[in-house]
Amino acid sequence: MTEMYIREGDFAPFVDAMIAATRVIGPVGKRKKFVYEPLESSSDLRLDFDVTVLPPKKVFFPPAQELVRFDGDLVEGCIAPIDTVLFGVHFYDVKGIDMTDFLFRERNADYNYLAQREATTIVASNIQAISPRAFWDSVGPEVEPEGHDAFLTKLDGGYVLETRTPRGETLIAYGAFRDATPEEVQAAADVNASVMGRCPERLAHSSNAIAEKVRDSFGDEKLWRELANGCFSCGSCNTVCPTCYCFDVKDTWNLDQTSGQRTRYWDSCLTREFAAVTMAGGGTENFREHHSARFRHRFMRKTTYLNEKLGGPACTGCGRCAQACTVDIADPVKVITTIMEVTS
Amino acid sequence: MSCSCSGNGSNESLFLPREARILHAHQPTATEKHFTLQLVGGERFEFQPGQIMEVGVMGYGEIPIGLASSPTRTDTFEIVVRTVGRVSTAINTKGNGDSLWVRGPLGHGFDLDALRGHDVLVVAGGIGICPTRSLIQYIADRRDEFERFVLFYGARDPLQLLFPEDRGVWRAAHDIEYHETVDRADVAWTGNVGVITTLFKTTHLAADTRVVICGPPVMFEFVIRELDSIGINRENIFVDLERRMKCGVGKCGHCQINDKYCCIDGPVFPFSEIQALEEAI
Repeated sequence: MTEMYIREGDFAPFVDAMIAATRVIGPVGKRKKFVYEPLESSSDLRLDFDVTVLPPKKVFFPPAQELVRFDGDLVEGCIAPIDTVLFGVHFYDVKGIDMTDFLFRERNADYNYLAQREATTIVASNIQAISPRAFWDSVGPEVEPEGHDAFLTKLDGGYVLETRTPRGETLIAYGAFRDATPEEVQAAADVNASVMGRCPERLAHSSNAIAEKVRDSFGDEKLWRELANGCFSCGSCNTVCPTCYCFDVKDTWNLDQTSGQRTRYWDSCLTREFAAVTMAGGGTENFREHHSARFRHRFMRKTTYLNEKLGGPACTGCGRCAQACTVDIADPVKVITTIMEVTS
Repeated sequence: MSCSCSGNGSNESLFLPREARILHAHQPTATEKHFTLQLVGGERFEFQPGQIMEVGVMGYGEIPIGLASSPTRTDTFEIVVRTVGRVSTAINTKGNGDSLWVRGPLGHGFDLDALRGHDVLVVAGGIGICPTRSLIQYIADRRDEFERFVLFYGARDPLQLLFPEDRGVWRAAHDIEYHETVDRADVAWTGNVGVITTLFKTTHLAADTRVVICGPPVMFEFVIRELDSIGINRENIFVDLERRMKCGVGKCGHCQINDKYCCIDGPVFPFSEIQALEEAI
């Protein structure tokens, strides 16, 4: 598509014009961390963020999402997309969105996710700060981010906006853009190249080698018990993961006791009851009884089960799980490196 | 009803259930209820034996249930629900004329093409008789498409044996070899006593028999051991697995076994396809 340039001084009016026209969600500061929230003003936008607490998947797949509403015998679906610009997404989170797009679309298209996804324009942005547990430059390098409509790169004195889709192209109308010069386009490419190789953690093996070795480790109960040692089964690693998309579904009544809703909630395969089936007499049959089996399942899913479908691991290297884990055992780099070093 | 959401538009939700009217309900045991259902509006419910559906009561939720009748029969369909949790309890409070909310049919049923033209053995343990009843009726209705048909049915005790009328029909049928057992007999019981594998001694099975197994998880291993000793190829063994199939459409992750989703890749699998998958059996 096109490469455009906007001067630093024209950037805030551009963002404010977008906010005036549509819902814009972007990274904002919250205490010492960052979160994606609807922007009220360009002054709230923090493109210098390192990583957000929750990934942007929450825009399309909220922690609680109504699926169906009922009132007596009347039952209705609840799909109500809102036109949105999701602004300032790091490339590893674009990869995460690409993966959830695929997974919600494959075989049975889930429009409770896809409708909002299709109503959303995504503007990716360059990485200005690197989070302390990130390893995105060494995980799944063969997976190219695709789902964004434009890519914004900050230069000294201004920004280059590369539009990737007609939808991204429409954003130009909100700001005082001009065509970028070849030098400015090259400078943007240099900025984006310069962050690679600077993550504090890294994987030293290819995705295929990791997939194979981790798969082979499945039967090594002792290894997985050691890796999962201390796991509280709290599910924090699932909650902050950009590619985790498991959910539970629950019905709730309104106060009138005749109407209510069926809602899906984020769920976590690390929790004890996730794979449990209720049996007669009130007991349960749990297909992953021990926390090490659940911990292993998550890593199998990230590194092997989904690779073929996704063209690489279901991990973006954001490092959120490592940061969120209370006992610091969820770090994929630590787990994978340990497995890769096991020779037997 | 006023609803702030905009409805489905052109994109249909996977989670919107359809209303099904209970034409007949009865309670064959202390914990099971047998429903005959019909979609409201009269639309025929098309499905294959072995497929599941999500069945629910709005306000309580939904659970995966195997269809217990054959699509060859009528425009109605049947399910049997065991009272085990909150949703099944809510379903089992419903009776004639009430509604249930259903989604489906979902998943893969029994591979009829693989069974057709061959001897078939069905091994049903406990409530596993319900989804297999769909296949049993199908075979009974198209008996000339299949060779020898042997049916093993086992339950904990005589009071747990479902479908007394069907069992009478199966027992009397000249082209069905029906064998049943109970783990624990009562004073009136004159039949076989012992776990379901004790029935293997009562008949001879050919090595090219196609086998369908459905029952409690503990049963599979022992039945497959018997089948191995007969020399039955594992590609010809079909297992109907139970998992927490919460969404039924391959998304929520609860029923995942390695890289398979029980709800859409199963619940019926050729055993050869899942025997190497840890956590499957």
